[in-house]
Amino acid sequence: MTTTRRAFLRAGSALVAGLVLELGLDGRLRRASEALAAETAGSDGFRPFAVLAIEPGGRTRITVGRVEMGQGVRTSLPLIVAEELDADWSQIEVDTASPGPDFPRMTTSGSWSVGGSFEPLRRMGARARAMLIAAAAARWGVEASTCRTESGRVIHSPSKREWKYGDLALDAARQPVPADAPLKSAAEHRLIGRRTPRFDGRAIVTGAARYGMDVRVPGMKFAALERCPVAGARLKSLDDQAARRVPGVRGVVRVSNGVAVVADHTWAALEGRRALVLKWEGGDEPRFDSAEYQARLIEASNGRGSVGRDVGNVETALASATRRLDSVYEYPFFVHAPLEPMNTVAHVHDRRCELWASTQAPNWVQEAVAKQLGLSPQVVEVHVPLLGGGFGRRLGVDYALEAVEVSKAVAAPVQVMWTREDDTRHGFFQPAAAHRMAAGLDAGGQVVAWWHREASSAQNYRGKMDPANPDLAAIHMWGGVDNPYAFAAMRAEFVLVEAPIPLGPWRSVFAPSNVMARECFVDEIAAATKQDPVKLRLALLASPSGDEAVQAERKRLAAVIQLAAEKSGWGGALPPGRGRGIAAHVYDGETTLAQVAEVSVESGAVRVHRFVCAIDCGPVVNPLGLEAVVESGVVWGLSQTLGGRITFKDGRAEQSSYADYPILRLSETPAIETWFIEGAKQPLGAGEQPVSPVAAAVLNAIFAATGKRVRRVPIGDGA
Amino acid sequence: MPRYSLVVNATPRLVDASPDMPLLWVLRDLLGLTGAKYGCGIGVCGACTVREGATTLRSCQLTIGEAAGRSFVTIEGLESAGGSAIQRAWLDADVAHCGYCQPGMLLEASALLESRTPPDDAAIEQALDAHLCRCGSYPRIRLALKRAIELRRAGKP
Repeated sequence: MTTTRRAFLRAGSALVAGLVLELGLDGRLRRASEALAAETAGSDGFRPFAVLAIEPGGRTRITVGRVEMGQGVRTSLPLIVAEELDADWSQIEVDTASPGPDFPRMTTSGSWSVGGSFEPLRRMGARARAMLIAAAAARWGVEASTCRTESGRVIHSPSKREWKYGDLALDAARQPVPADAPLKSAAEHRLIGRRTPRFDGRAIVTGAARYGMDVRVPGMKFAALERCPVAGARLKSLDDQAARRVPGVRGVVRVSNGVAVVADHTWAALEGRRALVLKWEGGDEPRFDSAEYQARLIEASNGRGSVGRDVGNVETALASATRRLDSVYEYPFFVHAPLEPMNTVAHVHDRRCELWASTQAPNWVQEAVAKQLGLSPQVVEVHVPLLGGGFGRRLGVDYALEAVEVSKAVAAPVQVMWTREDDTRHGFFQPAAAHRMAAGLDAGGQVVAWWHREASSAQNYRGKMDPANPDLAAIHMWGGVDNPYAFAAMRAEFVLVEAPIPLGPWRSVFAPSNVMARECFVDEIAAATKQDPVKLRLALLASPSGDEAVQAERKRLAAVIQLAAEKSGWGGALPPGRGRGIAAHVYDGETTLAQVAEVSVESGAVRVHRFVCAIDCGPVVNPLGLEAVVESGVVWGLSQTLGGRITFKDGRAEQSSYADYPILRLSETPAIETWFIEGAKQPLGAGEQPVSPVAAAVLNAIFAATGKRVRRVPIGDGA
Repeated sequence: MPRYSLVVNATPRLVDASPDMPLLWVLRDLLGLTGAKYGCGIGVCGACTVREGATTLRSCQLTIGEAAGRSFVTIEGLESAGGSAIQRAWLDADVAHCGYCQPGMLLEASALLESRTPPDDAAIEQALDAHLCRCGSYPRIRLALKRAIELRRAGKP
């Protein structure tokens, strides 16, 4: 949005719209009218995160600076404000912000949305409520302390008079913004902790919900892009005669990453693309081959890497151990495969650009597009519709840049839509890895040494990581470096083996790979020493080593392990051929979780019957939403365990759609139970966390059921 | 370009299109009904599902040439076509996550509800198993469908 337009809208909201408050990332709160003045005067470092607007008619709008991709931020974040505001939830409307100086950091990843903003959002609601009370008290000529609020009204109890918030909005807007206001106690909560259905539910079930794919702007064209099939190849020749003859095709344009067919509608664009005759030449050699690469990972896991954690002397401890266990775990490439493929509508015109992009990183899109066009970010306006799944893939800006290039070439608004095949072959793949695990046991079966060495590649959506970065292991070995168990000697080490394909984190970032290896290997130790896997974990967590924070973390992990064991009937009888497996994790030093899978194996076919999850992510804003993300994480983890993987041959991904890259289906989905402990003091993330232990819980259950140890995902026919 | 007539959500529509244009793109790009979603284009994911009477079909697999003269219900018309009970059940169970696959799920579920005999668990699994959801709304789909079936048995709309 241009500064002028933004200022105009701000002036409009400040003058007309009643009480409009902006919350800064730093917790500062100010009126929109002050924001306008500050912007006119120049930047004052205020970085908004949310806007609350109460209009005279009673409409209460909460604008959130996070994007909605199914994880529920358009419900959970407004709920927090509405709680302290004492608003009528049925009157709340929710908007998603646009990036820019107004919203400088909308990137939605890492499960930080609720945890990072809980207190500021509460204080925003509480302070707005205080302003409404002050306005009502002034009108009545009474002390504010004699007024209370309930469901969108200020009530003067002694005289039984009341005003609706909307009726007070204009007066409240003239009240000073208090430095602080009292927050409710947990016992006073009416919304937080209650089961609130998703804000967008009604729009979804009626087809009114708009995703990036559904954006329609006047005069827009539709484009399909034939991309360079292998890295480094160049277009040798292009014959677009047949493509141009397809009815509805308006143009064929060469762009940096391939050839785009622009048409009146999607079908013509797809047909035109099919009719292109392209010849490519060159390409980086050797062509990437994942089978060869994965063999190289196993080999490399023997070598030295970047050490992310070193306790005691693991080499000496292993050498002097009575018994040694060694295993190698393998993790393949995966692709995110959200149901909505990548797409963007871009409109480059008059030295400006407007975009509609289902993106997790609106600010990155804005910055990258501005750079691409040589424009100021101020004139790059990004609208964020709903995302048909994100899972990390939509942290990439590649698909937005393509649309900008095509729009510029044809001087019209254009939607570039990726097909499922494009989405599968041109992903930012979850990196493959090999994990070499070694443990030393003493004569009594105690673990005296633990050595976890991961070989994998290191890059994220913004490029490759510096191999010389001393923090390489810490950045990459989530779940390895922060191993919660206490060992007298332990080492976590990362060996870098670059892969020449785009790679990026996915749900649970890099944890799933490391946690699989770690939690399965703990299980191997339990089996080798004839200990119960739950008891062994609890024993490894009972160590008095580590500082207070580590101790607290271990206690919170032990608590969810015990809860998961109890709720799953751990140790109880099962029908023949069934087994239970447990896995646990502390995600990023915060959320603790434990999961028990109940699995049967018949003629090699693995079936997961029941999945019990215990999680401590602190106070729960919306239990219905928490259960949703836990179920979602389990289904994601089961897809990774039982579904497809991506392989590369001759530089290309061999899979192309859900037909050869299967994801979990309803019939494969077990009964999933979510139990939570509100042990942490503040709300913590829960969107990604539940993924990380899933694979290990299933693999450990397979071992319990069959006595066979599977050391890779997906299990395919390996069980 | 040939002209075709069809009925969408009880409204007669005329479209000019190549005979092989899939119904999905007719709905989305020519008729402005974006409720039917593109997910795979090969009939595997089910996001583009529409209803024709009590049956469902994948709109990405049916050409306008084949669809001409027939009558379809999309997610936008589900409520008017007697779908409010399944929509209510969906909202009560808070089924949707990102929601992208849900139009297909809902149309499949609504067709299942109209079958003569109340569907059992196996019938639910069979009907919905060909619909993919990457967010993992499956446990709640089961819940919502069972609830809708119970309500129907009890004679409530």
